[in-house]
Amino acid sequence: MTHEEKLSAFEARIARGEKIEPGDWMPDEYRKQLIRMISQHGHSEIIGMLPEGKYITRAPNLRQKLVLLAKVQDEGGHGQYLYHAAETLGTTREEIVDALLTGKAKYSSVFNYPTLSWTDMGAIGWLVDGAAIMNQTMLAHCSYGPYSRAMVRICTEEGFHKKQGQEMVIRYAKGTPKQKAMMQDSINRWWWPSLMMFGPHDSVSPNSEQLIRWGIKTKTNDELRQEFVNEMVTDLHAVDLSVPDPKLHYDEQAGNWISGEIDWDEFWRVVNGDGPCNKERLAARRKAHDDGLWVREAMAAYAQKK
Amino acid sequence: MTDTQWLRYEVFEKERPDLPHRNAGSVHAPDDEMALENARDVFVRRPNCLNLWVVAANQIFSKTVEELAADSSWQDAPLSETGEMYLVFQKQGQRQAETFVNHVGEVEARSPQEALCKALETFSRENVFVWWVCPARAVTRSEDGDAASLFQPARDKEYRQPNFYRVVTLMHELKASQQEARPLDEDML
Amino acid sequence: MNPFTPSALTALVLALADDEMILGHRNSEWTGHAPILEEDIAFSNIAQDEIGHAILWYRVFENLTSRDSDYLVFFREARDFSNVQMMELPKGDWAFTIMRQYLFDAFEMTRLKHLTASSYQPLADAAAKIRTEEIYHYRHTVNWVKRLGLGTEESHRRMQTALDEVWGYALQLFVPLPDEAQLVTEKIFPNSGEVKIEWKAIVLPVLKEARLIIPSTHTPICSSREQHTEHLTTLLAEMQETARLESPDVKW
Repeated sequence: MTHEEKLSAFEARIARGEKIEPGDWMPDEYRKQLIRMISQHGHSEIIGMLPEGKYITRAPNLRQKLVLLAKVQDEGGHGQYLYHAAETLGTTREEIVDALLTGKAKYSSVFNYPTLSWTDMGAIGWLVDGAAIMNQTMLAHCSYGPYSRAMVRICTEEGFHKKQGQEMVIRYAKGTPKQKAMMQDSINRWWWPSLMMFGPHDSVSPNSEQLIRWGIKTKTNDELRQEFVNEMVTDLHAVDLSVPDPKLHYDEQAGNWISGEIDWDEFWRVVNGDGPCNKERLAARRKAHDDGLWVREAMAAYAQKK
Repeated sequence: MTDTQWLRYEVFEKERPDLPHRNAGSVHAPDDEMALENARDVFVRRPNCLNLWVVAANQIFSKTVEELAADSSWQDAPLSETGEMYLVFQKQGQRQAETFVNHVGEVEARSPQEALCKALETFSRENVFVWWVCPARAVTRSEDGDAASLFQPARDKEYRQPNFYRVVTLMHELKASQQEARPLDEDML
Repeated sequence: MNPFTPSALTALVLALADDEMILGHRNSEWTGHAPILEEDIAFSNIAQDEIGHAILWYRVFENLTSRDSDYLVFFREARDFSNVQMMELPKGDWAFTIMRQYLFDAFEMTRLKHLTASSYQPLADAAAKIRTEEIYHYRHTVNWVKRLGLGTEESHRRMQTALDEVWGYALQLFVPLPDEAQLVTEKIFPNSGEVKIEWKAIVLPVLKEARLIIPSTHTPICSSREQHTEHLTTLLAEMQETARLESPDVKW
């Protein structure tokens, strides 16, 4: 079969709703895009453990302590499933880890913002995980088997993350004056980073069309972002919290909440490594990796001896 | 000494008595025993599981039906003198799921390649998209006697389940209290 | 029950709870920083289990005294905690964490075995539940001790250092509580001396197999659960930080 014939057969399989599995023929570009997307996604989960992990030791009661521990543990688990999916495409875990620690690989910028108070856990659970779930639900339909399966598993587990965040936001918004003020402050700081999670506008997203044809994406960035804004604004207003967007208004005709413009300078600065916590996040991961070297070596050495 | 992320092991979970072991993903581990424990910690954070298997990834011989159609040169491979038992797994259908291949049975063979040939003859090919075989000796299994300490703790961690959080009722009550212009029932929070 | 027993019982239960709580808190500090991803996930399970155990014991305490669990954890001062000092020591390197956890898990294996037979039913019930999880903890940590003890020169050295540091603290686990004799007579709680013998029978062969030298000290670092190091003060400052923003009756 010529390359064109193979490509046609491949695209026909995807159009039929079949999953592409490890071992099946795939265009190099498909493999490359997926390795990039999947490992980036995995890195995001791993890095995501840090801003929330900081508050496990600061949780205000026993229930919240357990819940947050479980949530952060899930994020580690999700990173694990995603690294596995990336490995099936021909890269190794060593390469994946190295790409993150040397700064070569990207991860979701939202985690380059600092967590400054306990109520940030509610904002992250509801807004950030809420945004992630929308993306993940779409990706569960992805044409590549291992990624699709990882996403289905993640979606099942992620349900509690958003709910736990939402429960916190509602409780604090209706709580003491201090709790309410803290909660509003958290929303103010996490609103725009959450919107940025959906990526650049469609008009400047180069990969979109191909990703949709290859069943890697089914909705565009702006479509998902609009869905998110509609849901979140309604629910935040229902608990008497405001959205830090002076230009926000409701378009009756379209039935949409229209946002002001995202600060794209900030977006690209943070994506390119100049956010408030970029260096700190990578430094923490590098330290864990370096401190763990003797451990990994010792366990491998013992296995050799047996 | 080179720093590694240890070996990769494929993990198979048996969720119910009426279901076979199914491939859930993989874990990295330095050896078989740690692989079994890591599989329990990574994959059995929520119910249900009755039994776990782990197999070093390099012990698994895998072919998709597309690969089988494209090329048969893989069949020429050296044979051992004696045969041994191989486990056979299949991916059946195209339904969206969390798990990949299912355990369908065993064959006796003198090499992974011969095992796959025999499997193709022995088991139905209908609606099958992927085949895996591995030697039975490469499988590390959880003991039934350990099931309580391995799998029960996940059941008790209800806070990992979405229905532990009564958000839907809360939002209903909130919207209702606003419409009815009355204060929110404090107990709901 | 002898009227003398209730406060001896409550002191015991609080000690059980505080040990698990402080250890669980220290364990949770590894989340996101463990040597490899799989162990990050695994150790976080152990941390959740320990905190879960603390909750079970605090509940028994609450039923005996009507004192709220969250209040006990988030609003007591360091001097009112009754954990052994071993739990409040910083997490150290991975060798220290594993060694401390292993010695405690071995202790739990024997103590819980006795507690499941306690004449005080709430203790027996809690112990039975906890024991199911501890069986797995022991399995996990004994595997780590052997592997790190025998792995490389560096891992062996670190494990020996950890053992040397923590042994004297571990011995505090066997210091009898005041009024323990009463609890033993009533068959509520086992004799600490007996538990120590059983514990040594478990850990000494394992440590020997890992080619680790048992420290020669027989004296516990401290003989009262009322005495704490500065580490506990620092730990509580962080642990109680959010809760103390408001009064104890505020719901978070």
